[in-house]
Amino acid sequence: MKTSGVFSALLSLLSLASAASSKSSSSSSTTLPSTFRPPQVFKNANLVHIISVEKNYVKENVNVLVQNIDKEAQDEYFVPFTADQLSRLGGVEVKDRKDSSAGPFVAEVVEFDKDSDIQYLRIRLPNALAPGAQRTLGISYYLLKAYNPLPASIKQEEKQYLSFPFSAYWLSAYDTTKQKTEVKFPSGAILDYTKLPGSGDVEEFPQKKLTYGPFDEKPAGATEPVSVRFEFNKPVTHVSELERDIEVSHWGGNVAFEERYTLHHRGANLSSLFNRVKWQQSQYYQPNSHALKELKFPLRPGSADPYYTDVIGNVSTSKFRSNKREALLEVKPRYPLFGGWKYPFTIGWNSDASHFLRKTAAGGFVLNVPFLEGPKQAEGVEYEQVQIRVILPEGAENVQYHTSIPTQSITSTSVGVHKTFLDTIGRTALIIKARNLVDDFRDRDLVITYDYPLAAALRKPLIVFGSAVAVFVSAWLVGNLELKFDAKKK
Amino acid sequence: MSQSSGKVKAGQLWSKNKDELTKQLGELKTELGQLRIQKIVSSGTKLTKIHDIRKSIARVLTVINAKQRAQLRLFYKDKKYLPLDLRAKQTRAIRRRLSAEDASRVLEKTKKRQTHFPQRKFAVKNQQIALSHCVTAMVDWKPLTSNLEREGQHHEPLQHRAIMSADPLQALADAGQGKSTRSVLRVLILTLIAGAAISSRLFSVIRFESIIHEFDPWFNFRATKYLVANGFYNFWDWFDDRTWHPLGRVTGGTLYPGLMVTSGAIYHALRALTIPVDIRNICVLLAPAFSGLTAIAAYLLTNEMTPSSSAGLLAALFMGITPGYISRSVAGSYDNEAIAIFLLVFTFYLWIKALKQGSMLWGALCALFYGYMVASWGGYAFITCLLPLHSFVLICMGRYSTRLYVAYTTWYALGTLASMQIPFVGFLPVKTSEHMPALGIFGFLQLLAFLDYVRSTIPSRQFQTFLWLFAGGTFGIGLLGLVIATSAGFIAPWSGRFYSLWDTGYAKIHIPIIASVSEHQPTAWPAFFFDLNMLIWLFPVGVYLCFQHLADEHVFIVVYALFGSYFAGVMVRLMLTLTPVVCVAAAIAISTLLDTYLNAKTPKPEDHQAAKEGSDGKKGKAGLKSSDKPVVGVYAIWGKSLMVSALAVYLLLFVLHCTWVTSNAYSSPSVVLASRLPDGSQHIIDDYREAYQWLRQNTREDAKIMSWWDYGYQIGGMADRPTLVDNNTWNNTHIATVGKAMSSSEEVSYPIMRQHEVDYVLVVFGGLLGYSGDDINKFLWMVRIAEGIWPDEVSERAFFTPRGEYRVDGEATETMKNSLMYKMSYYNYNNLFPPGQAADRMRGARLPEVGPTLSTMEEAFTSENWIIRIYKVKDLDNLGRDHMAAAAFDRGQKKKKSASKKKVPRVLRVE
Repeated sequence: MKTSGVFSALLSLLSLASAASSKSSSSSSTTLPSTFRPPQVFKNANLVHIISVEKNYVKENVNVLVQNIDKEAQDEYFVPFTADQLSRLGGVEVKDRKDSSAGPFVAEVVEFDKDSDIQYLRIRLPNALAPGAQRTLGISYYLLKAYNPLPASIKQEEKQYLSFPFSAYWLSAYDTTKQKTEVKFPSGAILDYTKLPGSGDVEEFPQKKLTYGPFDEKPAGATEPVSVRFEFNKPVTHVSELERDIEVSHWGGNVAFEERYTLHHRGANLSSLFNRVKWQQSQYYQPNSHALKELKFPLRPGSADPYYTDVIGNVSTSKFRSNKREALLEVKPRYPLFGGWKYPFTIGWNSDASHFLRKTAAGGFVLNVPFLEGPKQAEGVEYEQVQIRVILPEGAENVQYHTSIPTQSITSTSVGVHKTFLDTIGRTALIIKARNLVDDFRDRDLVITYDYPLAAALRKPLIVFGSAVAVFVSAWLVGNLELKFDAKKK
Repeated sequence: MSQSSGKVKAGQLWSKNKDELTKQLGELKTELGQLRIQKIVSSGTKLTKIHDIRKSIARVLTVINAKQRAQLRLFYKDKKYLPLDLRAKQTRAIRRRLSAEDASRVLEKTKKRQTHFPQRKFAVKNQQIALSHCVTAMVDWKPLTSNLEREGQHHEPLQHRAIMSADPLQALADAGQGKSTRSVLRVLILTLIAGAAISSRLFSVIRFESIIHEFDPWFNFRATKYLVANGFYNFWDWFDDRTWHPLGRVTGGTLYPGLMVTSGAIYHALRALTIPVDIRNICVLLAPAFSGLTAIAAYLLTNEMTPSSSAGLLAALFMGITPGYISRSVAGSYDNEAIAIFLLVFTFYLWIKALKQGSMLWGALCALFYGYMVASWGGYAFITCLLPLHSFVLICMGRYSTRLYVAYTTWYALGTLASMQIPFVGFLPVKTSEHMPALGIFGFLQLLAFLDYVRSTIPSRQFQTFLWLFAGGTFGIGLLGLVIATSAGFIAPWSGRFYSLWDTGYAKIHIPIIASVSEHQPTAWPAFFFDLNMLIWLFPVGVYLCFQHLADEHVFIVVYALFGSYFAGVMVRLMLTLTPVVCVAAAIAISTLLDTYLNAKTPKPEDHQAAKEGSDGKKGKAGLKSSDKPVVGVYAIWGKSLMVSALAVYLLLFVLHCTWVTSNAYSSPSVVLASRLPDGSQHIIDDYREAYQWLRQNTREDAKIMSWWDYGYQIGGMADRPTLVDNNTWNNTHIATVGKAMSSSEEVSYPIMRQHEVDYVLVVFGGLLGYSGDDINKFLWMVRIAEGIWPDEVSERAFFTPRGEYRVDGEATETMKNSLMYKMSYYNYNNLFPPGQAADRMRGARLPEVGPTLSTMEEAFTSENWIIRIYKVKDLDNLGRDHMAAAAFDRGQKKKKSASKKKVPRVLRVE
């Protein structure tokens, strides 16, 4: 048991099995001098920047053709972000657009001057780019808390509009020869957008798309602040904290899930307070609202005994539909959630261990669970802080894990001890902390391998039996004690 | 072929192959043919052999056939179809039957119905339930029906046990012929009774959830959470600034900590045993667990009264399921009474034990549990008065003894010291009048002991004069001292609640706040029957039977019965203190009856004679006439069986009644309301928690909530927000202030709310749903309490129409319509209906077409069924106008010049 702590350090950063072993030493972000500037060794020959504001987080896709203009081969490409952006950045994945087999490249935050407004993300190319050679990188990432509602407060029955400020030029550490920025919208209702003079600002409204550019040569670090404002009459759901517990029981043959959400609505606040009459009427006349009414959790088939509670007890407004093909948990908050309101709640369910747990030929166990199982909403859900705690049986050791969640989003992992019912040494708990995730990562797996010897499995029944025997024996001994002063005369 | 003349044995044939068999068959057939010929030709001697040969042929054929079939079976083993003659014959019906696969096929429609409307199943979480079949049966039907008949069927096992505990037990014990068998049975039965007591209190957990009920328990729960989180010493010094804003409450010093400390101790003990149970579940299940203990305590107490152990078991059973006690101890009813009744009964048991044995050890134990009782419930005064009264009655009966002296003085000295350790009690035991009888009897006993000593040393004539002088002197000095102490204020005068115990009309006139609580009302007659059912008519019988023996402990029951009956008649709530003695007395009555009638042996006349002669010898004893004659028994079997079956029916009905009452009257959490949808499924109306959760999540952490005091504890517990007043009701003026704010017009209320920094106002409105416990129905109490403090500003009369009606519709008085409560309840309500159709479903009133307007506050939240409405108090106007003018401006009304000139904007006293 004590040895299991040793394993924790090794396991922190494995994006894919192939990359895992070689890169684990360089996993933690390296510190660079505060005067660091990325060397001008690359040139962005062509760049297409696609911003999607369709959901309540921003997904950005940058396809860039990079060219090595240095005399030596280079393998480090830097992407600058403002400090503010970096704190809200998550799910960075970098791929080679031409060669899908190259797998995700390692992207990590470079640690240098904390006060600097520009921070860098370093992308390591698996093989260095020869001088003059070109490579197409596909960089995708998510920005959370990206919008500001404008107007900031609206009436209950009014529509909600969001504004999103960004730069028409992609912020790059290198000179860019040619670039284009596209913005995709959830609907055609785009109220406002910055018109750029000269640089053909073509808009194709039927396609819900706005295009800036193409722009000609821009120096490194060039920006052109623009902003768009569009209709988004859906809830801006933001989970500031998600704690997800997965408890494995070998004796019970059960895997228990519990998720604790702290849910916020980041949309426009109510300008006049909640009016029940209008709400009840709008349920009939215009059911689309920017208030959050319901969350749908598609669980794995076979999930059972769901519960939905909050801090003051059971919430009765939930439905659970379960059959062979699906297990859908539909959950309504106690009250409709408007902008600026908050609703923390807990859900949980059980599942048969055979769905997730397998014994390997070597005698160990493999647990394969979804990394995230949050609600599936049309408008998307973003998670600021995620803590996943996998509670393995008492005495499980040699814990290793592997997940396909982008490594940039995983902040820390550790193996600790969780003490609960009738535990003597406590259960092994693997804790993974991640940040800035979105519901696009719902289907990513978390695979955990561990050893669970038979002696550990027998520990609990033996201890319970032993202590019960001890109680009976001591009760018998105490009962036999003669405490009276006078001896019986008979 | 004469050599084959021997009989063929089938056993020998099996080993042969087919060819050999056919060969043998041929041989046998020819032999048969020859024999037939012989038969015709000559009547030979071998004719009898024909029979043998024929049988042999049959055997060979059988074996050939069997072998052939075996081969065929082998051949068809893996084929799809089997020839008909190889299939099992069975019967035609079985052959025609659907295959298992086809039979289990279900229509798509049926499948859907099964998944969407499956048969409901309820699991029981408590382990103890597994103890008995009858209990599981009880649990099974619980949520399904309130149908009496069905309940009855399921209840029979429990009922049988009730009777079994009396006499089949005896039979069984006789069969076992051993003391140990009896005690094992007794322990088993007691465990079952405790299990039944616990499980019959779980209705609400199974129907709803593990939730704290009502109002006061929410405070206890909050206090317990504070204790568990911050430790005992912080709890002791807890100053709670989130209640009674802006006064705060010294909570640690103004509560009875026994309940919280008990749950805290259980919580930590379970934690130490590595069973981390949530504190909420401990609080919810504490009352049922202690009711199991109460049943055992009742068993012990009754055993002190009568030698028949069946009485004790009956008493335990009654105590376990009597609605009078269940009313305060269902799961989730986390109130002081939850543990206090156990402590009450157990303290009485220890007192009887101490008194009987004159033992200091038992006396000290009694004091210990008395101290625990004091720490738990304000009702400890009942013990404080009852024990001295018992002693006093004993002394008056001339039963003073050293046993009494030892028991009483030990209890009083240690118990008083123990009780003074509780900050809330402090020096009350030597200061207040309620505690004076105990002190007085303590002194009186000292005097008696002294006199006893003097009498043993001086001659009797001198003793006479000494006695007179001494008694007169002591009485005089004592009375003088009492008068002086009372007038000087050392001894507090009687409290209002105490007066209301003697004069039921007192509270209504002088202290409306006490009268406004329903549990302080005088008990209605049906309530006795409702809470105690048949026990209430068995109770006098039991008391009468106590008179028959009238030992010291029986005097206790008599005194307790008198006292308890009186108090139960005065206050509904005190039905609780009566229940234990009713159970004990009724158990004595029933067990006496059963002992007499449930006796299989028919007495013989000779025994009768012998008994008569025997009793003649010791006829000196005085008593009732009928008791002169010796008890013989009952002769007639039919009489016995009639009596026993009548009793069985009564007991059966009792269990039915108890379960029905518990299920229907006492198992609603009142935070959550249950209703039925048209398809029969349960629908939960959860407005309270919806609104409280909204408050908790979406208002400032220190936003002050004003509501009527009933909801103070719930807001503190569930919404976690500071409140102005709560159910503690220690400050009548503060409550009256809230009452005044609610019952006055906005112009008056607004300054009051500003002064108290109120951010939100919460009202309960049942008009839409027809919910009777709403604020409009409680409104008159607010008015009355406010009127008690400000008779000039608030007048109850102004809320009644000239014809004396309390109305909310168009005919309501102006004062009513302008009152804040009325406005908040009906604000915006008529927009829910077509014009002119707005109706209050609770009071069945058609509301005026134009709803009230609010200028100083705005609607902040209304729950789904409109039960809770929350209003935000507006801040001061930005332009310095008063709110009426600002609201009128917003509505687009033009200010009347003349009116505005006269009126100076109202100046608020806001610093």
